[in-house]
Amino acid sequence: MALIGEIESHASAAEKFNKDEARVNWHDKALWALRHKRDLAAESVGGDEWERLKQLGSEIKLHTLSNLANYLQEFEANCQKNGIVVHWAKDGKEHNEIIHGLLAKHQVKKLVKSKSMLTEECHLNPYLEERGIEVIDTDLGERIIQLRQEPPSHIVVPAIHLKKEEVGELFHEKIGSEKGASCPTYLTKQARYHLREHFLTADAGLTGVNMAVASEGAVVVCTNEGNADMGANLPGLQIHSMGIDKIVPNLDAVGVLSRTLARNATGQPSTTYNTIYKGPKAGGEMHVVMVDNGRTKLFQDELLAEAYKCIRCGGCLNTCPVYRRSSGFSYNALIPGPIGIAVSAGDDETHSMAWACTLCGSCTKVCPTKVPLDQIIHHWRKVHAKEGKLPYGKRRYMPLVGRLMGSEMMLNGSMSVARGAMRILPDAVMKPFGGAWTEHRELPKAPKTGSFESWFRKNREEK
Amino acid sequence: MMSSRNAILEALGRVTLPAAAMPVIDVEPNLEDLPGQFEASLNKVGGTLVRVKGLAEIQQYLDERVAEGQQVLSLVEGLKGNRELDAQRHDLKDVDHTLVHGQLAVAENGAVLIKDCDTGHRVAPYITEHLAAVVKADTLYPTMHQAVPKLDLAPGHHAAFIAGPSKTADIEQALVIGAHGASSMTVFLID
Repeated sequence: MALIGEIESHASAAEKFNKDEARVNWHDKALWALRHKRDLAAESVGGDEWERLKQLGSEIKLHTLSNLANYLQEFEANCQKNGIVVHWAKDGKEHNEIIHGLLAKHQVKKLVKSKSMLTEECHLNPYLEERGIEVIDTDLGERIIQLRQEPPSHIVVPAIHLKKEEVGELFHEKIGSEKGASCPTYLTKQARYHLREHFLTADAGLTGVNMAVASEGAVVVCTNEGNADMGANLPGLQIHSMGIDKIVPNLDAVGVLSRTLARNATGQPSTTYNTIYKGPKAGGEMHVVMVDNGRTKLFQDELLAEAYKCIRCGGCLNTCPVYRRSSGFSYNALIPGPIGIAVSAGDDETHSMAWACTLCGSCTKVCPTKVPLDQIIHHWRKVHAKEGKLPYGKRRYMPLVGRLMGSEMMLNGSMSVARGAMRILPDAVMKPFGGAWTEHRELPKAPKTGSFESWFRKNREEK
Repeated sequence: MMSSRNAILEALGRVTLPAAAMPVIDVEPNLEDLPGQFEASLNKVGGTLVRVKGLAEIQQYLDERVAEGQQVLSLVEGLKGNRELDAQRHDLKDVDHTLVHGQLAVAENGAVLIKDCDTGHRVAPYITEHLAAVVKADTLYPTMHQAVPKLDLAPGHHAAFIAGPSKTADIEQALVIGAHGASSMTVFLID
């Protein structure tokens, strides 16, 4: 295991995942199925209209980010008019303290939570559990990984790394379902009964936020399962946690982003529930906690700021050839895949995360708000290189590669030697020179005589 | 010490992203056969459309459910089930069928807008085993661009665009209908 600063690098973690080839293929296929559904959904809207929606999404988010201070204050003022209490937290610690303060004040023993990547980012669950509060994740995938004491491996389908047999075994052990059961319908129903009891006995509900609408003073929550709305609407106290990047100016923006979010995530025309909370229920309380936690720092860089145009659809993970074949747990970051690299490579002490990418650009292509993910990832490589923090191998050989490729004479000379060697030496001798690249690939065949350059000079240049 | 609110606003004051205008939403809707588009979308999201001429057909549906011995809650004026809205929201846990008024519906995704002013307790459309909504055909909108700005939600209220029954595919991507919300969704469209 290659440890850098006691943390495993992406390549090393991925290598372990890759030992079980059948499982890698299964994982790859499951995610590609989502990508395929996304393509069909985009096509059904129509190519031109879909591209227009992406452009509108990008412009709306850029406009919001460039006026964020104003919109946050407008949102706060409108929330107050609606009887919503707004809290500001500079980091995860303060976010957790605010939540715990609210729960303690209301003597909450049990909290039901719906999916919120922000609360994962802030490590809210262990913070509350250490203080004696029972926290129940209610999204099915989240509940599965909570029972397994694992982090999510994907931001939309958190248990995509697990097989149904593994879920069946887990449910048998933890919630008393039948031994050996693996039918997804049966297991989902078992979770429904199990979690229904928790919804009915919870003292507070907490959800994430998909959009916070400044002009309305309201939050929009999107789920398929209905767990966020069961959790927010049964207990008296409802809390919504959001990053400050979740603000949108008005309902027009909700119209645009609600058209692309589910289509790009799972290929559905809409999530089952797009719910809007513009104040507490009768006799209840509603709180919104807005969190910075490093966002304003990244906003200082024009390119990195674009990462926060993201609406967390997960489309970039589903299309990424590296994510699909290395899984979410290889990234040494809470949010994996291209968007994970974009928002967390600055904190990556292994200096390897930004290299978990082939720069193929597929993520950028599918993104519904046109986040330039490949450019951002490339930018992080430069940041790590400039700080002199490249991994040892790369630090040594990359300057040499640069010098070689920068000189036409040296490059042509060495290519000529390589072609000669490939013509006469067996692959077994040559393949090790390809490093990891040729572990699962054959070498290309060298032309019988000459080179591409000589062919080009002869056939094209003079014409 | 500076409050976190001020610290965040001050940090944002140092951000110099290029000015970008809010775009004009200029997507032309497809207005052709909105009921047909709506039905196709609703089927895609696992719901069922029933086109009716008037309330009598819906009352018949409710009567049939009552005759089956189910707990039927009607929150639509002029239509009756066998269950009154409970005073405590948690008591709705054993309701089998809930009928609500839909403010409008969206052709492109099969969603119906349901407001808490029409549901008594906010949890009513989620906690019920089966949900049905009554929608007038002249309140169909082509896309979310037209539908969301029609929200008109009063301060202190809650509303939901509900597209089909609750569902999940969290176990091996297999679609299962009936996660935590209603296990079926029927829309009565009154022509």
